[in-house]
Amino acid sequence: MSVGKKGRILVVDDEYGIRTGVHQLLELEGYAVEEAQTGRDALAALERRPFDLVLIDYRLPDIDGLTLLQAIRSREFDVMTCMITAYANIETAISATRQGVDFFLPKPFSPEDLIGVVETLLRHKAVRQEAEELKLAHEASLLELASEKSQTHSLVENLRDAVLVVNRSGEVALVNRAMASLLDSEEGRLLRQPAEAILSGERFTPVRDALATPAPGRTLFDMEIGERQYMVSLSPFHSAKRDLLGHILTISDISEIRRLALEKSRFIRTMIHEFRSPLGAIKGILEVALDRSLGGSLDAYLPLLDRAEKRLDGMVELIGNLLSLSRIEMEKRGGASTRPIDPTPVLNEVGELYRERVQARSLTFAATVEPDLPGVCVGAEDLRIMLTNLIGNAVKYNREGGELGVRVSRAGGEARIDVSDTGLGIRAQNLPHVFDEFFREKRPETREIEGNGLGLAIVRRLVERASGRVEVSSTEGAGSTFTLFLPLGA
Amino acid sequence: MNAQKRILFVDDDRDFLASQSIYFRSRGYDVLTAASGEEALRLLEQEVPDIMILDLMMEHFDSGFRLSHQIRKNERLKEVPLVMLSGVATATGQRFDGEAEGLRRWSQLDAFLDKPITGRQLLKVIEEKTGAAR
Repeated sequence: MSVGKKGRILVVDDEYGIRTGVHQLLELEGYAVEEAQTGRDALAALERRPFDLVLIDYRLPDIDGLTLLQAIRSREFDVMTCMITAYANIETAISATRQGVDFFLPKPFSPEDLIGVVETLLRHKAVRQEAEELKLAHEASLLELASEKSQTHSLVENLRDAVLVVNRSGEVALVNRAMASLLDSEEGRLLRQPAEAILSGERFTPVRDALATPAPGRTLFDMEIGERQYMVSLSPFHSAKRDLLGHILTISDISEIRRLALEKSRFIRTMIHEFRSPLGAIKGILEVALDRSLGGSLDAYLPLLDRAEKRLDGMVELIGNLLSLSRIEMEKRGGASTRPIDPTPVLNEVGELYRERVQARSLTFAATVEPDLPGVCVGAEDLRIMLTNLIGNAVKYNREGGELGVRVSRAGGEARIDVSDTGLGIRAQNLPHVFDEFFREKRPETREIEGNGLGLAIVRRLVERASGRVEVSSTEGAGSTFTLFLPLGA
Repeated sequence: MNAQKRILFVDDDRDFLASQSIYFRSRGYDVLTAASGEEALRLLEQEVPDIMILDLMMEHFDSGFRLSHQIRKNERLKEVPLVMLSGVATATGQRFDGEAEGLRRWSQLDAFLDKPITGRQLLKVIEEKTGAAR
């Protein structure tokens, strides 16, 4: 019910006694009641606010009850109507019914009659309203269902995996774009074709075999087409009553996953080699010492033991680098800070770290930072690791008495950090590989230099994580310059 | 007592070469070392050792195989026992995949041993292959 405690009723009668009597009676019953003396007043009242029921006297001073009814219907007020008249004859009843009156109450009537009629009509209205709401809800859910269906359809259509649904008679019931392209065809041409015919050629033999003798559950197997690897899944699907309706075939391209897995196992292989070499060396040295191969004096073994210690340091560094790599890998998303930092303190810290080694090799170290440079968008710890690796390399691969320079400047909208040395340089053909994991240039001059080939790989990953990049330029025998480009803060 | 046996070690790990040299020299062997395949081939132009111990993974993952193949092409070196050391064979869970087995035949190896290896273990192999058991 729209308004009032039990409903809102409009009483339309020009006869004062009846109008007020009905008004009072209904108000006592808990209805909200308004009065109108004429047809026009009644229409005006209906325009003003919604009513649940209009009680209309057949005889009104301006327009008769039938005309009022017609006006109410034509203006589509959502209201129940009841005609009250003393001239209860068949013709008026028929005319009123034609105008869509809901009830016809002849005068005279008892209060009980009136209340009974009002209650019935209002109940009808409630039922009608409820039906209307149900209908709307039903239509809405149909719409929703249709849109859900189309969503599901476009979902399947745009899946990266190739999907084919085959009905019980082995015909294609559904096929998506990825499957069509895998079959070098178009979806429209594949529908309702026998699955066996469209999965033609030797490359689909395992799929045809699986479809020809389907297992009761899901079948999974790998397949190769050309250079690419696929995982094939074939599952039966059933109706609610558990009748077999057909099969769903999906073919997923797993080449990239395979490639990553292969890359990972290559990485592990190399890593194991990188651990076994120093282990073998240390083991050999210890064996010689325990064996007293060089006699009883400890001094004879000191150079060897010194080497063993260096090799152990190398292993500790390798572990540290491997941990850094795995940390970067795990933090890839959202790990780096984009808050701009001042690179100077980090640069000073790393410079301090290498001071002794710089002096030991008689290197000239020069660091400059462009004044008024806005902050650099990189995590301070990440920058420290990058500079440690780059400056460490510049020290290691430099020539005795050479120069080492670090320059922080602005290049366009980016910060540019150059780390340059005057050392061995890198052969041109090796430049594309220097950032690869475990890559080390094997040259007679590099043989004595310790390293595990992970430092630059770490630098590249860190700089890329900060949305920057690293570049290298080098001349064999003259030196190298590594350049980091990083976003500048506002 | 046999004449002094001569061992050639080829390995890019200089510390390994150093310890093996000391270990075997202290046992009366003559030890030659080379830190690369190239260096080994140069040395072998003059020398014919009694046994050669090669590291598989030097400049490349299969440097040892290439080197042994080169050595076997030389008439003078055809009969010299060849032992290959590898640090990756057991680590991958498969001692030889099909390809490596083919490579082993191609390079005509006498033994294939895992690294890290001790002088003690090597000594046994060397004595056995050179008939130098004393």
